[in-house]
Amino acid sequence: MRDETLLDTLKRRGISRRGFLKFCATTASMLALPPAMAAEVAAALGKVRRPAVIWLSFQECTGCTESLTRAHSPSIESLIFDAISLDYHHTLQAASGHAAEEAREHSMKQDWGNYLLLVDGSIPLKDDGVYSTIAGISNLQMLKDAAAGAAAIVSVGTCAAYGGLPHANPNPTGAVSVSEIIKDKPIINVPGCPPIPAVLTGVLAHYLTFGAIPDLDDLGRPKAFFGESIHDRCYRRPFYDQGKFAKTFDDEGARNGWCLFELGCKGPTTHNACATTKWNGGTSWPVQSGHGCLGCSEPDFWDGGSFYKALSTPISPVTGAAAAAVAIGAAAGVAIGLANRQTKAAAKAAHQKATIADLEK
Amino acid sequence: MNGLNGIGVKVVHVGGNGNAHAVLREIEARLQLLVEKGEEGSIDLSGLPLMPEDYDLLEETLGEGEVVAEVHSLGPTRIHETGIPGVWWVTHYNSDDEVLAEFIEVAWCPEILLTPEDDVKDGLEALRARLFELNPKSPLGGAPSLDL
Ligand code: SF4
Ligand code: SF4
Repeated sequence: MRDETLLDTLKRRGISRRGFLKFCATTASMLALPPAMAAEVAAALGKVRRPAVIWLSFQECTGCTESLTRAHSPSIESLIFDAISLDYHHTLQAASGHAAEEAREHSMKQDWGNYLLLVDGSIPLKDDGVYSTIAGISNLQMLKDAAAGAAAIVSVGTCAAYGGLPHANPNPTGAVSVSEIIKDKPIINVPGCPPIPAVLTGVLAHYLTFGAIPDLDDLGRPKAFFGESIHDRCYRRPFYDQGKFAKTFDDEGARNGWCLFELGCKGPTTHNACATTKWNGGTSWPVQSGHGCLGCSEPDFWDGGSFYKALSTPISPVTGAAAAAVAIGAAAGVAIGLANRQTKAAAKAAHQKATIADLEK
Repeated sequence: MNGLNGIGVKVVHVGGNGNAHAVLREIEARLQLLVEKGEEGSIDLSGLPLMPEDYDLLEETLGEGEVVAEVHSLGPTRIHETGIPGVWWVTHYNSDDEVLAEFIEVAWCPEILLTPEDDVKDGLEALRARLFELNPKSPLGGAPSLDL
């Protein structure tokens, strides 16, 4: 089963060619690729082998795992998870104690140099890392050992990506992110507190599809999901542009769905996919539910001052970047999201097309 | 629980944000391509910031056509031709009836409705096997070498 391709996995599960087409269209949509790329996704997914995945949980609250196991589209996302071979995840696996640690060591040995390492939680460095250990091994040691044999690392959630809550002032355990420890491996950051499930499955799908890590921004995040700010894609944006702001959570403006900027929305400085991917099966997302964005996918969002203070009156460390983003945001028009998407579409449409039939030749 | 319906909230809509117009323009451009060059295309609605009013405007402007279809694979996919022939509304659902992805396809026929060529080949074999079971001695059964 290790050598099985995704197309084989799907066939074994009795999924028809139309089902595969649907799977690919949905995956392309999830990856924010233009619809014409679905066939290319199909071509690639039909050929790849299942990569082995080892998942380490360090100083964390298990919220990231909770978020992922509640991924909203069971049929599609479970297929992505089926397409990988999840060899170690101490919350999800049946084995425990010595058997679990042996499974991890065994999988590392067998796929040395090729497995994908997923990490959630930050790593405490103070006092030799005694604040978080697994089977008597410090998080620091376990990360170093596992990273050495990994093809790439995915830092799941803001804690692994940037230190997150444990790293917040005064950071009693000396918590740091994965990228502060590991310098010689490609690292994909999928921040969010918690991250959006579809974004992680999207990153896995991208890795499966193209066998390479996606394009990253300067904070190590995949551009497909973190390339635009919450504010760029927010449906309340027209109110922002018209200067219509809710002043309290229950005034006329709030009831009319006006912009939440003055109530502390961090959308203008936050890059994440909430505004389009949404949460809970596309039901809603924080701004749609009437609360501003907290900025959870950005480094140090816990230390950025009150969640309810407007960005234009920043208290301490919200820097020039915030002001710049607001200025750019104000200048650009409503159709910006659409325009960006079309530019992307035009760029990607140049790719060659493959068909479902090609796969099976 | 399935979507918002399970929660007793009063939803107040405050008007679309104008993005439906952009989508309609794109549909127009793609339809022209289909007419002039036979080129098919599709628009992914899932990634666009549309409000309920924008959906209403899209639906009202495009209207209802005469074809409705459903594909059952990995959960239902519901398809209908809008009142503008050649413009199809394709919605993929999972088995819990939640929307996975939604497209406007501008095409002679949405790809998911066409029978894949290999399915037809498999179908031919399956039919021959059934005929063979019905009548093992018939020249048609068991001898799939008939040249048409
Ligand atoms: S400030 Fe917040 S609520 Fe207002 S448009 Fe931007 S993201 Fe939306
Ligand atoms: S809206 Fe903002 S704070 Fe809320 S989940 Fe999305 S990025 Fe995080």
